[in-house]
Amino acid sequence: MTRSGDMKPAVEPSPLQSLLTDPILLPGSTHLPSLQTLAIQVQHDLRYQHSWTDLRLHFRSPLTNEPLPRPLLSGLPPQRLYIHPDEQVALLKTADQQRKASKEKGANKPLEVTAEPEHEWILPTRLNEKWTLHRLSDVFGGIGMVPPAAETAATEDMRPANPWRTTKRVVLATVDPDSTVVYYIVHDGVVKPRQN
Amino acid sequence: MATTSGTVTEPFPISRVLNRFLLFDVDAISHARRAHNICGVLIGTIPNLSQQNVFLGVPLELMPEEARVLVEEGHAYIVDDVDVHQRGFTEMSREVRLQFVREMDEQGMQKAVENRNRLEENSRQALKKKGLNIKDKIAGKSSSPDPRAVSGGSVEGNPAKEGKEEEHGVGEDGEALFDQPRATVVPPPAKKLDKHYITPATSYPPLSAPSPPSPAFSPPSDLNLPTVPRSYPLFRYMHSHGYFSMPGLRFGCHYSIYPGDPLRFHSHFLATGMGWDEEFELLDIVGGGRLGTGVKKAYLIGGEDISLKGTSGEILGEADEKDAETVRPFCIEWAGF
Repeated sequence: MTRSGDMKPAVEPSPLQSLLTDPILLPGSTHLPSLQTLAIQVQHDLRYQHSWTDLRLHFRSPLTNEPLPRPLLSGLPPQRLYIHPDEQVALLKTADQQRKASKEKGANKPLEVTAEPEHEWILPTRLNEKWTLHRLSDVFGGIGMVPPAAETAATEDMRPANPWRTTKRVVLATVDPDSTVVYYIVHDGVVKPRQN
Repeated sequence: MATTSGTVTEPFPISRVLNRFLLFDVDAISHARRAHNICGVLIGTIPNLSQQNVFLGVPLELMPEEARVLVEEGHAYIVDDVDVHQRGFTEMSREVRLQFVREMDEQGMQKAVENRNRLEENSRQALKKKGLNIKDKIAGKSSSPDPRAVSGGSVEGNPAKEGKEEEHGVGEDGEALFDQPRATVVPPPAKKLDKHYITPATSYPPLSAPSPPSPAFSPPSDLNLPTVPRSYPLFRYMHSHGYFSMPGLRFGCHYSIYPGDPLRFHSHFLATGMGWDEEFELLDIVGGGRLGTGVKKAYLIGGEDISLKGTSGEILGEADEKDAETVRPFCIEWAGF
């Protein structure tokens, strides 16, 4: 059974496949193409699987303008990704006060905890990579507490500094060869765990 | 039988036996836990119920890291227990030894008398309850507190019963288990009160306690320090920040780290220490992070930045080296999506 050359392939390449195999011209990047495609793959996953917005690629450190060890992403999750346990306590307290206040007025509102989503750093990795503490610390060395705002001034105003955010953190995105992506938060320092 | 002082003077001794670091003194154990955040693991077991590890007692085994932290900070010193014992007992003078044996004999006799009195009191109570006062006379006679008087005197009571009591008494104490109770087979007409043979539970009443090394030896050279695994810098870092550590085997890590005493707090971190340039699999991070989040903890990895260590050692000198934070920890939690 031979196949003539002009036949259509049995399976169309997936949008992700064509996104990655398209010649990528990422201006300002000196990183290996494999790392660039990795970042784009994670960006794709976050945007379409997890509804993240404002996703941007970073090739240079916002602090020193040196090239980063690898391209990083920043983005805004649909809900708050991480609430520090102390912040959670504070949020619950204010929510409880609000509920009590509304009760006195006669309304019977449930407890509403509101936490605005925050921009996060994302570190794309592959599962078969080996990492060291040294490399992890280099990644943290190149980033600030919060990803820099986009060029538009409007986002700057929409990003109030969270006083609870006192240690750097990145979202470690690990891509499996089968294109599953798992996300873990890595804090730079000793941070007590959330009581989920 | 241990003479407890109630207080611990620092530095206190840590016994090294077969390269395990042990604390035998209850006061030292509680002191290490209270003042120095050192928990250790109690390993003294009941020989035939070794699975009952809820009820373990002294000695306390310290991790090499724990022993090293205590020694480095000058709270304790290492004693090679085998050496001290061999030297101590071979060089012990005859007078001291005889004195000690005599003391033990006296204690044993005292114990035997106490035991006998208690048994007789018990049997009198039991008989009284049943309204049988027949043996009052006998009991009164044999409960004389001076054992020497009893040893010569005869007991006219039920010999079989007496024998049973004696056997029971010996077995209960557990220290003369292998002295076959003579009374079981043919109870002798005259009963001599046997003293209990006491096994001394401490070796520092007979031996004089080992003295701490002279200040000339401190700071301790690396040769005297316990050898520690590569995860030690992380342990030292967390310990210096007031955390308590326990072995982390049950979570597949080096230490489970508590924010306070493990009796009061749940552990916060599953910690794995590694070298600065030691490669690790991302799968380990994912696994550790997932397990940690599943049990409401964070997975902590950390190690010592060798470059920082080198510079701080040269510039700041040895005393300040510990203050310069050369250890970088990272906490990993599941992102939740």
